[in-house]
Amino acid sequence: MIRFDNVTKRYQTGLDALTELSFEVGTGEIAFVTGHSGAGKSTLLKLVSLAERPTRGQITVNGRDLARVRSGAIPLHRRGIGMVFQDHRLLTDRSVFDNVALPLLIAGTARAEIGKRVRAALDKVGLLAREKAAPVALSTGEQQRVGIARALVAKPPLILADEPTGNLDPQLSLEIMNLFAEFGAVGTTVLIASHDLMLLKRMRRRVLVLDHGRLVDDFRPEAAA
Amino acid sequence: MNASVQATPRAAPEPLPATRVAHVRAPLGERVAAWRDQHFYSLFSSLGRMSARPWASGLTVLVLGFALALPMLFWLVYDNARELSSGMREAREITVFLKPALDGPAAAAVAARWRARDDVAGVEVRTPEQGLAEFRRMSGFGEALDALGENPLPSVLVVMPKASLDAATAALLGTLESDPATDLIQYDAVWRRKLSGMLHLGQRFVLVISALLALATLLVIGNTVRMDIQARSGEIAVMQTIGASNGFIRRPFLYAGFWYGLLGGMVALALVGAVELALAAPIDALAQAQARAFAIHGINLRVALAVLAAGTAIGWFGAYLVTMRHLIAGRPR
Repeated sequence: MIRFDNVTKRYQTGLDALTELSFEVGTGEIAFVTGHSGAGKSTLLKLVSLAERPTRGQITVNGRDLARVRSGAIPLHRRGIGMVFQDHRLLTDRSVFDNVALPLLIAGTARAEIGKRVRAALDKVGLLAREKAAPVALSTGEQQRVGIARALVAKPPLILADEPTGNLDPQLSLEIMNLFAEFGAVGTTVLIASHDLMLLKRMRRRVLVLDHGRLVDDFRPEAAA
Repeated sequence: MNASVQATPRAAPEPLPATRVAHVRAPLGERVAAWRDQHFYSLFSSLGRMSARPWASGLTVLVLGFALALPMLFWLVYDNARELSSGMREAREITVFLKPALDGPAAAAVAARWRARDDVAGVEVRTPEQGLAEFRRMSGFGEALDALGENPLPSVLVVMPKASLDAATAALLGTLESDPATDLIQYDAVWRRKLSGMLHLGQRFVLVISALLALATLLVIGNTVRMDIQARSGEIAVMQTIGASNGFIRRPFLYAGFWYGLLGGMVALALVGAVELALAAPIDALAQAQARAFAIHGINLRVALAVLAAGTAIGWFGAYLVTMRHLIAGRPR
């Protein structure tokens, strides 16, 4: 699903965020990216969603070479990716329902279909009862779940999450992570950037460890067992 | 539930593999319907957004209204002046006032002499009595004339030149002027030329003012939309990260520009209407006093529609320019 070949990203400031990074994440796999802050986790996710372009190397997502995706086609590329952010980035001027419906609205889904899919997504994250609420009226954990519902509502083949549990307590964090683990079971690839090592240990999933932009470990619990 | 369904219970539909769903596009009809829905949604949500800040939006619309009303008012003045002058435009005849000493038969003799000329198409005699009657009818000074006791008006000959060329007419004018029977010549062509020159200047003035104020309208709408974009830049960034196309992001702003232009145009029409109303009474009085059949015309439906169309087009274009700039600045490198 995701393949990096000798990818280097140097920002215009001269900072080398990633250096000769190579790895592959298969379809339906759930993988974590970890490392100290500034190790390149966010840059890695940005390269996948084409918020940034690599300085060198080749990135393939869902069989498509990202170098061939032109500026005009970036929105279409991003519609195949569900994005979850640490600060969830909900639009505060509209209801929970409208926030979750946004990706479908963007994709041009029929209205009747939007209602069904939004409720299914909200049901999955356990917030069906709050569809009319304003995002600010929800707790942080609930807001993050709305963000997840928004990421999965369009059924993208790939979900990227950047520190999704950064603002949550351990119990809520585990709930959120288990939610992500469920997507993997239905064939969705999930790539999560997180520095919560305790949590990663409990999840028993593949972990890519970055240090100063280099891949220093690719830990697979199955292989270790 | 009928029997056959009960007999063969269908399995729950398998969810499509997620990897495939994202690439299956909805049928065309459905997509067109969704596209139409999006437009309707943007059309009214942008209006709702404007009404959420009634003071700011109202002020902007008023500014636009004035900017659009001014060229319309100038145009009205120009168009009325042009229309008033067009009645005189065809007048090619030369009016010759004969010396007061010449009586009726003498005037007729002069008319016959001039009629015989090659460059004259015809001569019409207006006796002093006819002139008096006409003056009485048109000026409203009837009583004052009665007080005079005798008719002070001379005989008037209206000479129609044969040639329409200015040079030939000028030669005829010279001849008539030097004729001993002539007291005074009135020839409209000279001041008509001056008038048409002034009208031409007026037309150019209206065009220039219109262009300047259209530009001002464009800037006001562009700036308003730009501030709107800045206020919502976070929202735009979120939409971009979840795959909104430029068109999707631009749409509500374009409709905002559309509404500003349309509402500004409507305010402008209302302003012009109010000015017309305020001027109607004095103009009517003036027309009465002049005893002439001249009517000032206002904005007709075609001009009104043109102003509304121009306003919305300018609004749309202004919003387009500004959103375009913002979207280009936000491209990934």
